[in-house]
This record gives sequence, structure tokens and C-alpha cells, in this order.
Amino acid sequence: MTAQKSPISYQVKKTVVETSLLALAAAFEIVSRHAPEMKAELADWEDGRIFSLGVLPNGPAISLQKKGSEIHYLGKGYHNPKLKILFKNLDAAILPFTGQIGSHIAFVQRRAILHGNVGEAMQISRAMAIVQSYLMPGLVFSKIFKRPPKLTPAQLFLKARVMATIGPAIFMKIWK
Amino acid sequence: MIPQYYEFSCQVKIVSGLKALQNLPYEMDLLGAHRALIVTDQGVAGAGLIKLVESVFTGSNCEIGAIFDQTPPDSSSKVVNQVAKLFSNERCDCFVAVGGGSSIDTAKCANMVVTEGTDDLLKFQGAERLKKPMKPFIAIPTTAGTGSEVTMVAVIYDDVNHLKLAFTSIRLYPNVAILDPKMTLTMPPKITAATAMDALTHAVEGYYCLQKNPVSDAFAIGGIKLILENVEQCIKNGQDENARLALANGALLAGISFANSMVGIVHSIAHACGGVARVPHGLANSILLPWGMENNLEKAGAVIAELAPYLGASTKGSSLDQAKACIQAVRDLQKRLKDLSGLPTTLSEAGVKKEQFEAIAKAAVNDGSATYNPEDVTIEVVMGILNKAF
Ligand SMILES: NC(=O)c1ccc[n+]([C@@H]2O[C@H](COP(=O)([O-])OP(=O)(O)OC[C@H]3O[C@@H](n4cnc5c(N)ncnc54)[C@H](O)[C@@H]3O)[C@@H](O)[C@H]2O)c1
Ligand SMILES: [Fe+2]
Repeated sequence: MTAQKSPISYQVKKTVVETSLLALAAAFEIVSRHAPEMKAELADWEDGRIFSLGVLPNGPAISLQKKGSEIHYLGKGYHNPKLKILFKNLDAAILPFTGQIGSHIAFVQRRAILHGNVGEAMQISRAMAIVQSYLMPGLVFSKIFKRPPKLTPAQLFLKARVMATIGPAIFMKIWK
Repeated sequence: MIPQYYEFSCQVKIVSGLKALQNLPYEMDLLGAHRALIVTDQGVAGAGLIKLVESVFTGSNCEIGAIFDQTPPDSSSKVVNQVAKLFSNERCDCFVAVGGGSSIDTAKCANMVVTEGTDDLLKFQGAERLKKPMKPFIAIPTTAGTGSEVTMVAVIYDDVNHLKLAFTSIRLYPNVAILDPKMTLTMPPKITAATAMDALTHAVEGYYCLQKNPVSDAFAIGGIKLILENVEQCIKNGQDENARLALANGALLAGISFANSMVGIVHSIAHACGGVARVPHGLANSILLPWGMENNLEKAGAVIAELAPYLGASTKGSSLDQAKACIQAVRDLQKRLKDLSGLPTTLSEAGVKKEQFEAIAKAAVNDGSATYNPEDVTIEVVMGILNKAF
């Protein structure tokens, strides 16, 4: 007899992914407001670009948009995005969200696929790496980055600020 | 070392050998197709190769519906739409691409347009966007280089943004690849050298890039062996059918390898040089390969060293010594190919201008291949390579 997937473990995974997506969204907003390296990356993006991250086939998803020089959270689900980064299943999404693999490795291992222009996806992937450097503990840097960044005092200060504000920021997004 | 996780696929029937071309109508029939659209270019048609293709239909129950022989070196979606229209207007039921990567990829893209009933190819950028079964597709490569006859990849040129655009889908695999040495005999020495170096780059980058796996490794090594054993003979005596067939098989193996393991910084800069400075794909790879290997010495030196016996490099010393010997072996090959065919070894000889470096670097870091490179691909890293390769 084949083992049935436990609905509880499915719910747990779904919650982990949902929360991670909201954390990413919140961190994107804070980091894009304050980090000069993120502003430099965003400078080349066309204004209004909407992109989504989600889990196939009907898993959690979020949409983000570049407005001015910042990234804004649009809400859960797909808000008519120009580009989608899609994980094949919840387990595939959990690996990068919990710092077990880098987000580039999720693509390399084909656990995630892209719908949209590759060049624009590369820009988004660089922006995500910047966000992750503020969101992830330094301990996992060597696992998730090809060249782990060395954060300057100013960046460490911003990281502390991200850590202090991320909880409430996620909370505010739960119902959006 | 076994990767933590990998996927591998190749769904192409390979028909290789003397007079393999004669099997074209039979293979069409097996696919339930009887009226082919031939997609090719002026160089291939001018070399008399389409006449050869036409001749194999005599006495068969299949026919040629139309021939499109205007594929440019860098097809845009405009050309692709033209090909798709011809397919529909002439009531064709299968694509037969006869040519190098340019013709094969144009036909792959036209197949997407026909199948999806769209004229906006760009909607399908990315991976696995195609859900409908495609029209039967037979590839007859006339270069021994891109491996497009066995890959799920199609590359076309975005003439608005001067970029190469990539499409990947398991539906882009041709159904059949026909390798007949007659189809590559007419390739001029310089194109033979450049396209073979593209193939070698697929195998070498495929061997050390991040999605390498035991299956793609086996294909990469098989590819390197056949390419190196035959490339010089194909240039010295273009009419040597055995060498031509072996080189075509080497390119095919390298193609299967890289379509699974993917390629890295050499291809990301080569695509950018193609987009910005119109450097032919094989030539750009040929110039950049040793620099790309060097860029990955720290992260992948031990893996590159494993190629020493196959690249004809010294197997003495530390793995770093052997990796460096591999790079030297590629440089020696570059020099021999230059002597034999005139293939340039620097970007300046290839017509790249220093003023184009910034645009090339920007395009290279946004090229998807950068993801698979072991070393981080940044603007500074690319600028460094461009300056060295100039
Ligand atoms: N789909 C893939 O997997 C893949 C992989 C690598 C490269 N590519 C793409 O392939 C394209 C390059 O393809 P290519 O290197 O095969 O070159 P190509 O198709 O552009 O052909 C180069 C030239 O050689 C001539 N030629 C080809 N075969 C000949 C023959 N037998 N006799 C005489 N002349 C001949 C052609 O007329 C053309 O002028 C690029 O656009 C590149 O981006 C695709
Ligand atoms: Fe290539």
C-alpha cells in the first residue's frame, strides 16, 4: 500500500511557504527603500513591472511591483504579472526559503521554472539575492551564494532593522 | 560526485550514417506527416544541399510543400512569423530544418507559433510554456556545432533590444535528428572550426557547470573525444566523410550534454557578443572558452582537471596544475585552428570594439547561462574577461 501524504504535513509546509513568501515581500519593501545596492539594481527595471513567486499548481503565491525606485507588495496570488517564478511543489519552494539551497540552485536543479523574459528574471534573481543577504543568517551565506557578500556596518545596521520590523510587516500582509 | 538532485532528458530519435538522408520520407511517414516545410538559409541552399534533400523524395509518398531559404544568421520573431505563415498557407504538416543552429532554431520557433496559433512568440519566453503537442519536426544539421538537433532549446534574436532570447520546453525536442556526412562536407574551413568550437564549449562547460550529472558527464566526455579526434581532419580534408560524421556525432553528444547540464559564463558572454557586436556564436565561444575556464578555476578547478586526459593535457601534478594544463590545451587547439582555417583568437580580430564592452557586460550578466556558472558572473568579472580576450 502506498503511503498517503499527511494532510497535516502538507498544511505545515504550506504555512512555511506562505510565511516565507510574506517575509520575502516585506523584506523586499524595506530593503528597496533603504539599500543603495538595491536601488542601483532597480534603476534598470521599467517602472510598473509586476512579478510573482508561487508554487504550482495552486499553491501560495505573491505579487510584487516596482514603483518609482521601490518594490511594493501587491497581495497574494498572481496580479497579472509580466513574469512568474514558479516552484514545482511545496518541497521545492521550502529548500531555498529555509536557506538549504540558494535561489539560483532552485533554478539549476529545475525545482523552479520561469515564465517570462530570462534577462528580466536575472535582474529579479539579483534583487532577491540582495534581499536574502538581509533576511538570511550569515551562517547560511556560503550555502546560498556563489560569493557570500561581506556586509558593511551600514548594511548590518539595515539588517538589524529588517529583523526588528519583519515580524509586524509580515503580520500586516497576512490579510492583504 | 553525485549531485544532490538532477533531471535528464533527451527524446530525439537519432539516425546517423552514410545515406541517412534517404530515410527522411520514411521518418516523416512514421510521424504521420507527408508534406514538409523545408527551413534553411541561402548558404546551405547555395551549397546544393537542398537539391540533395529534394532528391530523396523521388518515389516516396511524401512531398515538399514549400521551401523557406531566407533564414538570416540571427532570426527575429518577424522571420519566424513569415515561416509559420508559409507553413499554414502551403498546408504543410511537418517541419524539416536543414542547416545550422540558425535554421533549426527558426523552425523550432515557427513550430511554436503554428502550434500555439499566435504571432507573438515572445509570450512563450521562459521554460515549459508550451502545452500543446507540436507539429512533427525533423532536424538535419549541416554544421557540427550547436547540437540544436537534440536540444529542447531555441535561441532567436530580439532585434529591438539587441539580445538573444531563449525558449526551453520538452516540446522543442525535434522528433528525429538525421546526421548524414554529405550534409556537412560543404562547410567551409572557418565555419567548420567555429562551429566545432561551439560544440567543444558545450561539452567542456557542460562538464563543469552547476547542473552537471553522471549522465550529462558521459555525453560530454564522449563529445570531447570525437570533436578533438576529428576537427582538424575535417578542416584539412573537408571531403573526409568519416571524419565529418564523427564530428557531427561529437557535436550531437555535446548537445545532449549541455541541454541537461546547461552552460555558463562562456555562453553568457558569447550570447552578449552575438547580440551587441554580431559575433557569430561559434567564433565567440571559441575565443572565450579558455578565459571562461580560467574564471572557474577556484570553484571548479578539480572538475576541469578531470578533463585532462580527454583534452590531451598533462595529467601530472596537482588538480590545479591539470586544470591549467586543460586551459593550455584549449589555447593550443585555438592556435592550430587559426593556422588551419584563419579562425580569430581575439575579440578585436572578431570585430568587437572596446566601446561595446559595457553593453556586452550588461547583456552577459542578464543571460540565463550565468546562473549555471560555478563562479558568480558580475559586470566586473565579465569586463575582466572581455579585456583579457581583446
Ligand atoms: N538551440 C540550441 O540548442 C543552440 C545551441 C547553440 C547555439 N544556438 C544558436 O545557433 C545559431 C548558430 O548556429 P550555427 O553555428 O550552426 O551557424 P548558422 O546556422 O548560423 O550557419 C553559419 C553559416 O554557415 C553556413 N552553412 C551551414 N552549413 C553549411 C554547409 N554544410 N555548407 C556550407 N555552408 C554552410 C550557413 O549558410 C551560414 O552562413 C546561433 O543563433 C546560436 O545562438 C542554438
Ligand atoms: Fe552554443
